Amino acid sequence: MRKNIFFITLIIVSIAAPLFISNNFILRFATDILIFAILASAWNIIGGFTGYASFGNVVFFGIGAYSTSVLMSVSGLGFVVSFLLSGILAAFFAFIIGLPVLRLKGHYFAIATLGVAEAVKALVQNLDITEGNSGIYLPPPDLSVDGIYNFFFYISLVVLILLLLTTRLILKKKLGYNMIAIREDEDSANSMGVNTTMIKSISFSLSGFFTGLAGSIYAYQQGFIKPEPVFNVLITIKMIVMAVFGGLGSLFGPLIGSITIEVISELLSSYFLMAHTLFLGIIIVLTILFAPKGLIDVYGNKRSGLSYFLNNIKEHKV
Amino acid sequence: MTNKMDNNKTLLRCSGLTKKFGGLTAVDNVSFELKKDEILGLIGPNGSGKTTLVNMISGNIKPTGGDIVFKGRQLRGLKPYRIGRLGIARTYQIVKPFPGMTVLENVAVGAMNGKSEKNRSVKDAFTAAEEIIEFTGLIKYKNYMADSLSIASRKRLEMAKVVAMDPDIIFFDEVMAGLNHNEIDKATEMIQKIREKGISILIIEHVMRAIRLISDRIFVLHHGSKISQGPPDDVLNDKKVISAYLGKRYKQLVK
Repeated sequence: MRKNIFFITLIIVSIAAPLFISNNFILRFATDILIFAILASAWNIIGGFTGYASFGNVVFFGIGAYSTSVLMSVSGLGFVVSFLLSGILAAFFAFIIGLPVLRLKGHYFAIATLGVAEAVKALVQNLDITEGNSGIYLPPPDLSVDGIYNFFFYISLVVLILLLLTTRLILKKKLGYNMIAIREDEDSANSMGVNTTMIKSISFSLSGFFTGLAGSIYAYQQGFIKPEPVFNVLITIKMIVMAVFGGLGSLFGPLIGSITIEVISELLSSYFLMAHTLFLGIIIVLTILFAPKGLIDVYGNKRSGLSYFLNNIKEHKV
Repeated sequence: MTNKMDNNKTLLRCSGLTKKFGGLTAVDNVSFELKKDEILGLIGPNGSGKTTLVNMISGNIKPTGGDIVFKGRQLRGLKPYRIGRLGIARTYQIVKPFPGMTVLENVAVGAMNGKSEKNRSVKDAFTAAEEIIEFTGLIKYKNYMADSLSIASRKRLEMAKVVAMDPDIIFFDEVMAGLNHNEIDKATEMIQKIREKGISILIIEHVMRAIRLISDRIFVLHHGSKISQGPPDDVLNDKKVISAYLGKRYKQLVK
């Protein structure tokens, strides 16, 4: 219940925010946070709830971005159609690639997904239709300057809300329980009658779908994309760090993680231009050390204050 | 509940089941039947192929040869989840509860999967799970995390999970290992109560006291082959079984 109130308040504040914020820099910053919140929350479906730590989720981001670019600039389709098709294409790719890759577990799955992402990047760099390494331009939105900032803010917000609602709905359904059962013990789930291959593929596709939508928004917002930035493995790392930082396998954890990390990172870089990643790294290490279940667990846990953090150190001692 | 007409009806028939791991024959041409409402004991020394046999029937490993027929249907080559949905449930020797879920959720996962014609909504699954938790005596741990339970309660949770699947057959793989006398008596009682629900049981166990008490029939594996089969007292007095598994001192211990 407390979480619901938190969620509803957050939505209302977010919807109303642009009405009071006339500063486009802040709106753009908020949009970036939303896009990362989508990426981290989508990663959470496969990594947090199903227990398969994908190190190649950026591939769906890249496919989403490139699908939109090609569909808009080559095929001349409108944004809305390209946007939806991008999500569907990314989901479809996730399903197909999931069939072989989701047979692997643990580190092997992580390495295989990493490999897939790098392979697709190489493919995009060498295809004619994607114009290789020289990049591809997208037609700009036909809106005023303020309108553009508002448009990208709201579309990201809508996708994030849809993603969180979908996740919440799934968690209350058989699909959600089966996903968590797979995470907890796949063999046991299998012999209890859970079609593990199917559930994992659905989970991976959902993760791919929303990541693809985020890629599509990003491409349209940038107006010009190249393979290296949109298939960058650092984007995968960032979504994982945000999801873990906020709270793996919890609905709002990744959202809280992305807000916190982006804000801290922004503040640090405005004070320490050179060393801000050093401080960010230290903060992340300390948080994982003292609150390994993420920030959301700090609020949700019965223990409070120092005893919570000390207990975590004790419990997770190697 | 149980229909007299159905008694003596064969539910599961395995014939010539064989499993080779490279040069090692773990299960060698084993045939047996499990009848409706029966408790069939499976005993044998460590490494005699008991768990391998169960793993083949539940689809976890592929047999090298032989047939597994359940209610007239060939099970060979089916995936574990298909076999689980057809009505065959199993526990694992090393217990496999879902550690990060509560006891109730663990059992509810069983209740929402399992035998497919009984697939339930989430709400119905939780209602059914609640009843089964009551039945297995875990009700006071309902909202505990599965990994906070004692070993005896974990084994009991494993039993609750498979009963929730509403199966026709359950394979219990050493559900009494590591329990004390009192807990073994409780587990024995539980298995008899499960049979009264109309579920046939194949039980692998090293606890002779219990298996002798509850089994209708026992069969014995040794080096992957069946060396004896019949009513408990006959089997446990069989010279081959005594020399292969029980040891000469067993008779003195039991008497």
